[in-house]
Amino acid sequence: MLFLSQCIGRPVRDPSGEPIGKVADLIVAIGDRYPPVTGLVVVTDRRQIFLPWSSVAHMDATGAQLRVLTIDIGKFRQRQNEILLKGDLLDKQIVDIEGRKVIRVNDVSLDEIEGALHVVAVDVGAAGLMRRLGFEGPFRVLARNLRRGVPERYIDWEDVDPLDSTIASVRLRVPHSKLAQLHPADLASIVEQLTPRDRAGVLAALDDEAVADAMEEMEPETQVDVLEDLAPERAADILEEMSPDDAADLVADLDQDTRDEILSHMEQDEVEEVRELLGYPEESAGGIMTTEYIALEKGLTASQAIDRLRELEPDAETIYYVYVTDDDGRLVGVLSLRDLIVARPWAAIGDVMIHEPVAVGVLADQDEVAEVVAHYNLLAVPVVDDEGRLVGIVTVDDAIDTVIPTAWKKRLPRVFSR
Amino acid sequence: MTQGQGRRRPAGHSLRPFPRLPAWRVRLVAVLAVLGPGLVSGFADNDAGGITTYSLVGTQFGYKLLWVILASQVVLFFTQEVGARLGLATGKGLMGLIRERWGVRWAAFAALLMLTANLGSTVAEFAGIGSALGLFGVPPQVSAAVAAVVVTGFIALGSYSKVQYFFVGIGILVSGAYVISASIAGPDWPLAIHSLVVPQLSASPVYWLAVVGTVGTTITPWGQAFIQSYVADKGLRPDDLPANRLDVFAGALLTNLIAGFIVVACAATLFAEHVTISSAADAARALEPLAGPATTVLFAGGLLGASFLGLGVVPMTSAYTTCEAFGWETGVNWNWREAPAFYGLLAFFIGFAALFVMIPGLPLIQVMFLAQVLNALLLPFILIFVMLLARDREIMGALASGRILGAIGWISTAVLILLSLVLVATSVVGGP
Repeated sequence: MLFLSQCIGRPVRDPSGEPIGKVADLIVAIGDRYPPVTGLVVVTDRRQIFLPWSSVAHMDATGAQLRVLTIDIGKFRQRQNEILLKGDLLDKQIVDIEGRKVIRVNDVSLDEIEGALHVVAVDVGAAGLMRRLGFEGPFRVLARNLRRGVPERYIDWEDVDPLDSTIASVRLRVPHSKLAQLHPADLASIVEQLTPRDRAGVLAALDDEAVADAMEEMEPETQVDVLEDLAPERAADILEEMSPDDAADLVADLDQDTRDEILSHMEQDEVEEVRELLGYPEESAGGIMTTEYIALEKGLTASQAIDRLRELEPDAETIYYVYVTDDDGRLVGVLSLRDLIVARPWAAIGDVMIHEPVAVGVLADQDEVAEVVAHYNLLAVPVVDDEGRLVGIVTVDDAIDTVIPTAWKKRLPRVFSR
Repeated sequence: MTQGQGRRRPAGHSLRPFPRLPAWRVRLVAVLAVLGPGLVSGFADNDAGGITTYSLVGTQFGYKLLWVILASQVVLFFTQEVGARLGLATGKGLMGLIRERWGVRWAAFAALLMLTANLGSTVAEFAGIGSALGLFGVPPQVSAAVAAVVVTGFIALGSYSKVQYFFVGIGILVSGAYVISASIAGPDWPLAIHSLVVPQLSASPVYWLAVVGTVGTTITPWGQAFIQSYVADKGLRPDDLPANRLDVFAGALLTNLIAGFIVVACAATLFAEHVTISSAADAARALEPLAGPATTVLFAGGLLGASFLGLGVVPMTSAYTTCEAFGWETGVNWNWREAPAFYGLLAFFIGFAALFVMIPGLPLIQVMFLAQVLNALLLPFILIFVMLLARDREIMGALASGRILGAIGWISTAVLILLSLVLVATSVVGGP
């Protein structure tokens, strides 16, 4: 194991052992699982030169030893997909995919794998910090005397996603493929930690659906910030991918101009839906409901109903209940997904459904909605208007949000109000 | 997107047109949009240390130091402009940039200076609260403990950004009081204007101490960190530069006017009567022409508001910028267990400052003033980092300081260094 900080500034010697300069930086080609060092930047008396790794015989904490006598003193020019470990990575911010955090690189750990030097991990622990500050020895002694472990922390290179803006002259398009694979809630918590500029870079690399899913998990202020930073067309696409209730809440928080601009780029029926939801008081059942739900006629058989579900591909939060309505759209019954599956395929859903299901009025207070959901142990409660027509549902997550204010701890200090 | 049937508009429920924001919120948003980073930063400059220092200066030297107020506000505009520009260009905080540019050792050095200066400022804010409540006979031990609990409460509930504007409001009120009081007292306006433009120098160490204190309360290390982080966190971009400059200019001008009127008010009342300020009660008398017997309440309210405003900004800025540089979780989204360094720093700042002020017999007014001197002595180091960053094209791109702005920045920094040296020299030579 070798640390980057142990290499920088160490002498580079020619085969006869004569020093020709000092190591200024290490170049790696990223893309591989553990990217290999492809060369050194060396400062000699007057200039910076580039040495390909092939001319290096050996390198450790005492310095580098060259294999060849003659070296090509070509001026160093960085290629695509290459980063400088000191210039681009050390002391910069990266995303720790595993810990879902944005952190700073204290050191880079290298290891020899089959004759080549590879980047294996970044050091983000206190030990690395102390090593850089030159206090590693005393720090370890202190830790030992206090009978505590030295807080070493490494993040495997596999779990690291460099940020665009940390790479000095953004020649590298970071694909952020690792971020794209995260759970939306984790992605959201990372995005919230990024500076607005880094956010833009990360979100540009993700598809609309991933962004929409993550948006639903973000704090309202962040949602607004993110949306305002995007081009109106992109913002509109993302809003369309979000569930209508979340989209409506977000749209309500935008300022007039941005809102009009974004809505003008959305599809007409999506806009209608959002406008409709915006019409209800914020703290009523109508204000927290979604208009995405499954409503079927009672004449259908169970197997037809399941076919319809397949066609509609409902989202996770709305699939568990199938509502049954009459010709006027009035709510007459409900089936759980379980009821539907265990019913005989040819049975009419009107016969297996639960009649007169629990429902709340569209203007019911949100606390009342939460109570109903809790009392009847529901995953979602239907919302009906004065005439008993089904207009939406409130899913359990939105219902409890009102009782348990959105993760209390998340509302801890926001120092610089946005 | 999946859709059920029965998506019909409910009968009997009239659809209200779009905006769902309550009216007060719309108004608040409008106000906040105007009250930009420059204004907030400028306003927070007139914290406990600011009010006290300006009062001392006016009382001790009359109109004589008005030119320092003007000069330091000009410098304030340029330093804040650079700070805002760094935030606009990079979207990053000051300590983070220092670390990225010069590595971890320089960042640790800068953070240490910044924390020392800010600790001094935090002590000054607590001293301000102690002085203000002392006017009503509350011993500093009690007021410091109460203030620590209140501040911790605001922070824990995450409501500082809301109450901040309440304190700004008090600040505006009291500033207005100084303006009116200064006018009623019938100051010597021609002399005041003359002193504003024509510097009058003196070789006395006390004079230079006052000069350095005035500069130190106006241009602060935390002010640099604050405006940069504020601009960056607001997500402002390079295109916002003109609006941002205007905002910074307005902030500097406002601070200047208030500072000037405090000095004039004190010069016209306390200086004329040859009073020296040894407690907050003395300083409060500058408001007598306006408020008469209500002076104490008005002054105490202003000092209290200013102190709490400062307490909302200084410890937070310190913890925020330090944690950013070292890659530790900053408070925004974390709880105490997740962000121990952030909350630890906050707790240390508040705890240390509160305990310090509890030392029996501590001259609170002097403590507030000396904290500003400490700020001034540490400031040049921070400014050197700022100026070096600002001219770096690789970091700043098109927003890098050009020749003129660069020159102004370096001259300002050089003058500040010179001032510190003069202070040290006069204290050594002419000291008691």
